[in-house]
Amino acid sequence: MEDTITTRKHSRRHFLSRITYGAGGLVLLGSYGFSITRDNKNGVIRAISVDFEKCTGCRTCESVCSEYNNRVMVNGEMLNGLSNPARSNIRVYHFNPDVDIPSTCALCEDAPCIEACPVEPDPVTGRKALYRDDKLHTIVNDPIRCIGCQSCAIACAEKRAGVIHPDPETGNPMFMCTLCGGDPQCVKHCPYDALKYMEMPADRDLDKLAPEKLAQIMIDKFYNV
Amino acid sequence: MSTKGYYGRLLEIDLSTGKIEKTRIPDSDIRHFIGGRGLGAKILYDRLRPGTDPMSPENILMFMPGPFVGYPIPSSSRTCVVTKSPRTSPLEKKYDHSSTLSYANMGGFFGPEIRYAGYDGLLITGKSEKPVYIKIEDENVSIEDATEYWGMGTDKFDKIFHSRLGEGRYESCYIGPAGENLVPMACIINTAARAAGRGGTGCVMGSKKLKAIAVKGSHMPEVADLKRYNELLKKIRGSFMEKDDSVMNWRYGGTANALSSSSGNGTQAVKNYGEGTFAEIEEIGTEANRKKIWKRDFACYSCQLACKKSGLAKGAYGAQIVHDGPEYETGTMLGANLMISDLNGLHKLIYDGDDYGIDIISTGNTIGFLMEAMERGHIDSGFLDGIELSWGDVESSLELMRKMVYREGIGELAGKGVKALAQKIGKGSEEYAIHVKGHELAAWNIPVGSTYWAIVYSTCNRGACHMNGGNSRGQDGACLRDSLGACSFASSWYKDEVHYRHILSAITGLEWSEEEFNKAGTRIYTMEKMFNYREGFRRIDDTIPEKFFNNKFTYGEHSGAFVERDEFKNNLDNYYESRGWSKDTSRPEDNILRDLNLEFAI
Repeated sequence: MEDTITTRKHSRRHFLSRITYGAGGLVLLGSYGFSITRDNKNGVIRAISVDFEKCTGCRTCESVCSEYNNRVMVNGEMLNGLSNPARSNIRVYHFNPDVDIPSTCALCEDAPCIEACPVEPDPVTGRKALYRDDKLHTIVNDPIRCIGCQSCAIACAEKRAGVIHPDPETGNPMFMCTLCGGDPQCVKHCPYDALKYMEMPADRDLDKLAPEKLAQIMIDKFYNV
Repeated sequence: MSTKGYYGRLLEIDLSTGKIEKTRIPDSDIRHFIGGRGLGAKILYDRLRPGTDPMSPENILMFMPGPFVGYPIPSSSRTCVVTKSPRTSPLEKKYDHSSTLSYANMGGFFGPEIRYAGYDGLLITGKSEKPVYIKIEDENVSIEDATEYWGMGTDKFDKIFHSRLGEGRYESCYIGPAGENLVPMACIINTAARAAGRGGTGCVMGSKKLKAIAVKGSHMPEVADLKRYNELLKKIRGSFMEKDDSVMNWRYGGTANALSSSSGNGTQAVKNYGEGTFAEIEEIGTEANRKKIWKRDFACYSCQLACKKSGLAKGAYGAQIVHDGPEYETGTMLGANLMISDLNGLHKLIYDGDDYGIDIISTGNTIGFLMEAMERGHIDSGFLDGIELSWGDVESSLELMRKMVYREGIGELAGKGVKALAQKIGKGSEEYAIHVKGHELAAWNIPVGSTYWAIVYSTCNRGACHMNGGNSRGQDGACLRDSLGACSFASSWYKDEVHYRHILSAITGLEWSEEEFNKAGTRIYTMEKMFNYREGFRRIDDTIPEKFFNNKFTYGEHSGAFVERDEFKNNLDNYYESRGWSKDTSRPEDNILRDLNLEFAI
């Protein structure tokens, strides 16, 4: 793979060989990422969808995500914080031949990350240290109960896009999408209308979401080389 | 504590000794020179002995992102490479190695990452014995062996280098074979497509045996007034988000839109600047590229204009090529200026130029000069090692470029540019050697609009450069943008309440009045001028090639256009007068220097 396509981010590289394609069909459309050929049985989920043809790799999404999700209190007022884009929950991966692949939590219906969490469910709430928010269906970490074992990050990397990364100090999972409380800033500020917060079939096929896989699909699509 | 918005810190690496230091920037220099290009000029003036050989270990290669860089301020990702130029020389040499300073800026993601690592600039001195690259992650800085990468083109290097850097998202810049081979017109490339193109920056990097710099950072510079900064950011983002015609035009064609318009206006470099209009321009313009070549638009950090275009070329010149371009400069210099309208051939030329890491403007200018020399019979194919060079010839141009990069035969001399070639050829060829101070002109032709363009090129502090303004106001404005790290293409949006100076005030907590801000621009331009003056550059060096006085356009609406010698002289007089510079020597007067806090240069 190295000679044809190279990513600038490689923390999941050792997992990649173990990713396998699922049986379900995943088709890239002209707009908004994915179409699902599988029957829709389990209803819909609202999540962020990417139009990879429109993305220019400007990383404005990374900026506004990290600004909003790292807000600070100044003189009693909550303000967007300063944003090293590496703190963003949405990440843009750049490749040569030239494509950019934004990658963010897909709110997977079957949540392999939660499945992998070894912490016993709380007897009252039923929640593990990683659980699904009731309202927005986002994946949330309970830092008090989290043991920092990184099982969720490994599960995400092996089975899905590899969005979750362990915090280098605590091992707690980072980069799960918060949907900014229901008004995702990346969608709102994308200058190129490449991101959309939209309803999608909950059981859509997410097996090929790793940026490297998507990049190869887009490189074939753009350049056919 | 340094001024907010800055770390007040430079990372200095001596490749001779391997010494790595983090040094303080005086607050007064930050206030007076802002950062980027301005701070680079001040450091170069302070530290370089006059007459320093640009290729010597003493020369400093600086990577200077401005104070806007790293913040998501739209279209503000630019890093200025500042060094002493290996390209320029005065008519009367004061020192063996008299040359101007050089500055060349590039967009992308490299500059922001320098700032995230906690530095306002990188200063490279010395010279390594073997090929190396520099790896920076916050405080951890190392000099690594690059032997395995030496000789590698920038495209292949870009593809494999990042996979070997370890975890995390590194950004990088690097040289290609041209820089390694010490070709004077070599440049520095990032993301295989963006260049700090002009003034021989890649040659200086090559002289230090430095293949690449990779940087990754976890920090973020503070701002003084977060609320005000956020409000300004919201406003300026909003003004782009309106997506008016201007925004959409940038996205549609980038600078390539100017290929057609400039040709129509008679301001394009065509046939070695002999004409201002290219009959076949539509073959290589925006529409042709949209239809045949471009596949996607791409943007620098936090930019809403996405002026860059990734294309796919097929056809006679090797395999399929995926690459950025053409832009106005690359499309003109390797297209119109050489009478080349074969779009696939043009794309191949641009790809090769970037892959070699050579300044495409100077390369296209030089090949155009040789085409004219052939046409005039001042040289024959024997002079060119058997290449039958003629207008519109893609294959010969590719071969000549290759020879320049590998310094083969005539390539050795051609890589030094048109001034050196004209000296060798003689026969009056200097008349059509299109350079100022040894640095080749870019893709904007002079005769139509000469009151502007003749001043742009003749007075520019790095030798001929199209990004210089045509009067003191424009030149000082360009200095400010290059010092902040802001892209000139987006400057028209930064006006009134979202003017650069308000954003700088919010970031630094230092209130910048309009007068003070403009004065900083004048100070920076004058600082550069004093560097060059110290090296021996005088008014006689501020000129334009003879061809513009003697040649008249023969084609198109602007047929007959040329530059009136007296008019140019008067305009230059007025220019010096407006700046308070001596009309005889071009030296800034002492009172001007004092007023600009440049008394140390008196």
